Amino acid sequence: MAVQYGSRLKRAVTFYIPLTCLLVGTLFPFYWMVITSIRPDVELYNVKMNPFFTLHPTFKHFLDLFELTMFPRWAWNTLFIATVSTGISLFCGLLAGYALARLQFRWAPSVGTVIFITYLVPPTLLFIPLGDVVKTFGIGDTPWAVILTYPTFLIPFCTWLLMGYFKTIPREIEDCARIDGASRFQAMVRISFPLAIPGILSAGIFAFTLSWNEFLYALVFLSSPQQKTIPIGVFTELVRGDVFYWGPLMAGALLGSIPVALVYSMFVEHYVTALTGAVKG
Amino acid sequence: MADQRIEPILAKSAASGASAIPAPIVVVAVPKLGRPKGLGHLLEREHILAGVLLAPTLVILTLFIAYPFVLGIWLAVSDKVVGRPGNFVGLHNFWVNLNDSIFLRAFQNTFVYTFIATILKLMLGMAAALLLNQHFRFKRIVRASMLLPWIVPTVLSTLAWQWMFDATFSVFNWMLMNAGIISRRILWLGDGTMAMGCLILVNVWRGMPFFAITLLAGLQTVNPDLHEAAEIDGANAWQRFWRVTLPLIKPIMLVVVLFSMIATFADFQLIYVLTRGGPYSSTHVFGTYAYEIAMRAAKLGQGASISLFLFPFLLMVIVFQLWYIRRGD
Amino acid sequence: MAESESVTSIDRRAFLKAAGVATGAAVAGGIPGIVAAQKAPSFPKGTRLSILEWVSFVPASDVEFKRLAAEFGKLAGVEVTADLINMNDLNPRIASAIETKAGPDIIMMINNWPHLYADGLADVDDVAEEIAKRDGGFYDISRRINMVDGRWKAAPFTMGSGVWNYREDWFKEVGANKFPDTWDELRKVGTALKKKNLPVGQAFGHSLGDPNSWAYAVTWCFGATEIDDKGKVVINSKETIEALKFTVAFWKDCLDDGGLAWDDSNNNRAFLAGTISATINGASIYFVAKRQFPEIAKAMNHAHMPKGPAGRFYYQGGQAHGVMKYSKNQQVAKEFLRWFMDRPQYDKYIAANDGYVGGPTPYWEKHPLWEKDPKLVTFRDAPKFGRWTGYPGQPSRKASEALVKYILVDMYAQAIKGMKPEDAAKWAEAELKKAYA
Repeated sequence: MAVQYGSRLKRAVTFYIPLTCLLVGTLFPFYWMVITSIRPDVELYNVKMNPFFTLHPTFKHFLDLFELTMFPRWAWNTLFIATVSTGISLFCGLLAGYALARLQFRWAPSVGTVIFITYLVPPTLLFIPLGDVVKTFGIGDTPWAVILTYPTFLIPFCTWLLMGYFKTIPREIEDCARIDGASRFQAMVRISFPLAIPGILSAGIFAFTLSWNEFLYALVFLSSPQQKTIPIGVFTELVRGDVFYWGPLMAGALLGSIPVALVYSMFVEHYVTALTGAVKG
Repeated sequence: MADQRIEPILAKSAASGASAIPAPIVVVAVPKLGRPKGLGHLLEREHILAGVLLAPTLVILTLFIAYPFVLGIWLAVSDKVVGRPGNFVGLHNFWVNLNDSIFLRAFQNTFVYTFIATILKLMLGMAAALLLNQHFRFKRIVRASMLLPWIVPTVLSTLAWQWMFDATFSVFNWMLMNAGIISRRILWLGDGTMAMGCLILVNVWRGMPFFAITLLAGLQTVNPDLHEAAEIDGANAWQRFWRVTLPLIKPIMLVVVLFSMIATFADFQLIYVLTRGGPYSSTHVFGTYAYEIAMRAAKLGQGASISLFLFPFLLMVIVFQLWYIRRGD
Repeated sequence: MAESESVTSIDRRAFLKAAGVATGAAVAGGIPGIVAAQKAPSFPKGTRLSILEWVSFVPASDVEFKRLAAEFGKLAGVEVTADLINMNDLNPRIASAIETKAGPDIIMMINNWPHLYADGLADVDDVAEEIAKRDGGFYDISRRINMVDGRWKAAPFTMGSGVWNYREDWFKEVGANKFPDTWDELRKVGTALKKKNLPVGQAFGHSLGDPNSWAYAVTWCFGATEIDDKGKVVINSKETIEALKFTVAFWKDCLDDGGLAWDDSNNNRAFLAGTISATINGASIYFVAKRQFPEIAKAMNHAHMPKGPAGRFYYQGGQAHGVMKYSKNQQVAKEFLRWFMDRPQYDKYIAANDGYVGGPTPYWEKHPLWEKDPKLVTFRDAPKFGRWTGYPGQPSRKASEALVKYILVDMYAQAIKGMKPEDAAKWAEAELKKAYA
């Protein structure tokens, strides 16, 4: 009995308590956003009221969001842009990461460094010269303006992260396959890539989130209201000078993030099981 | 498989192009079917395969970043303002920066912000990854919700924080007052040091989930057998983490830390929404100050020199760091 | 409600009728434009006109703007698109548009932006002169901020000012039956209010609107200026130190101590929450109050900046429209501006604004909409006292640099934080010298 109690206590101290603290910390601001999005404005501006709950929940802000803005259209744009630019970045990053981690060639270190250095350029000002490029290709104010520019900051990270993953996968597994008659290319595609799935997924999550949230390029390169992404649309149209439409702003933030979180959770589970399986197999 | 795919494509192109392409070409194309073997043979050579695999990345980066990159550096050494061609002024802009008290403050802030935030993100992210790596109920929903701060568009979540730090409405003040801990409200963003702390807090809140999830993926590659072996050898949990887990996930960890540091170093959105460098220019970082000068004062050259001020230094650090990471292989 | 609407529309008709002579003359003689004469379109088919503007805090104003733009499109046979975004995000869009020579044909210019972007703007002398001729001249400040080297770079559009918003009921409770006319009196009243835990609110953070409204206006009211009319930095003066001392005392006696962290939006929230009794702001607080907090709308009013030893001053904002130099549709763009600014159209637009912004010329001060709500009259009269950054020198890029570095705001903020006024003035002098170098 005492032993059982002791181990439970230990579990609580080393696991449940820290986990709870972490969760409260991460979710508190989020909870606050939820509350803001369902409180009526009158309560929002009342300093005497308990800010943690409301007795008069309302969905008015959500309705306003759909009425005042083109939110569904923006959500669709954002999804499209994020998916395609993530696809491009992952494709490039996967191949490049593998080449840099696994293949013997003279320029490997320099190429790796050069790819990294492109990430060093601060994006705050890059959009000015990048605008020239976008104009030259004639893709201004189309989703392609950002789909093709996001990979510039996504590829370096994807490449390097996947390089790291390929390094953790024992080379011997690939060598075995080659002895069994697989070509270099086949060994890469059939053996190493599946083993790198956790890495691919976390690089994908990184790339998707960054393109989902990106602000400056989207602000400058997409101008028509029907081309905007969620962050740009919601922020530039619901902040009217010094008047903030708090409810719809927060409603937009929630609708723009919860579905993504759910999809991610599936991926995370998937790569956890994929890997456990792989290691055991 | 590759052979099968090529065959119909060739057949198709021969059929559709029948009118334009004379028959002999089709004949020539037939022997080409043997080509994939040759191609496959070529791909067996590692430097050629490497070239093929790197091609898409290099094409995109060259097309989209090479020119802006060079132009960005040119801006930093020119007196370019919006709408006028710039003249080369050498290092004049950098000299102006060194004599600018706001810039020097931003310089200091950038380092404080980057280092403290990165260290906290790494520590908390690692803790979260270790916790999430265990088995417990509702694991799925917990992992999903942990990612939320990172997914909410930064501009919008930062607005929420702004309201939480608001001098009049702060929920933190409300809690602390109702708990009887403070009697006077705390002005979270009203003082340089305090505001910097708030900015770091928000940055950590936002960035930690990514550390957690990437490190979690790294932890998955650690073979449990190694842990068991270490346990049998009498290593305690801390030693097992330090000697077994950490070395194994180090390559991934270093990459994440490095990229996160660079992103934090160039951060802009969060500070821009929360304090815009105020109060009294005490929370400017390179990103925000460069933006104010380049966008609001329209001095593109000066702004570029602020954001590229440490570029040479960063370049050296990164090259060294990368060398260090590789040395581990 | 409906009744009052109809009354105003009759008033407006009368107003327009009275103004009719001028308008008619303009149509017949002045404007060769197809649109004003309501003739068939003469622009090549497929011509597009794109406009970039701020989102107004009065949504009805944006609706009316878009409606008029579409109407123009129909008349002129061009496709008009209007993108309306938060004013703070206009700068990067403008910089990128000018640098890449691609983007909207017309962009809104706020405050002294025409000076900042002069090289990317086409001259609009004909449009501006036409408005001036019809209305009998612009406000001095509009001329200053929109004319660069003798050429009009943007056509004035609206005037927006930050005036004192205050709670009449609470002011009466401490014995002030009207808003004080001098800064010293205001300090007395404010002291009494703060004792009742109803402080005055003022932002000193980094934000383009409210903090500057204080910093520039108070500096001028006390007779100090950043530079003299030749451009020499003269901030380190007796007058500045007086202004600093006053601000520090006002901070201690009257102001809400949250102000250092405030941006443009905090005082709106605090005022609507009833935690401050007065603040400098545009008409946006009143606008939101009228819609959502009617008791506050009833209890509040607006008043002019108090007088200082040197008089009454405003840090004045204004909006204008620039036609972009790179635009291939400059002719259409100018035609649009002429048509829009002509009385029949502009009247509808200004009416949709309900008095929350003023017209580009003193002429519009006579518009009946100002009689509709006497609480907004202050906004009508503020532009007369308006000055620009860099006054009494010319508005310039350099003045903009001083503005975005928040030198004056930070000078006050540092003094509030405990820096000696003499040192704060010295600090500002050193910074301004670099900005105006």
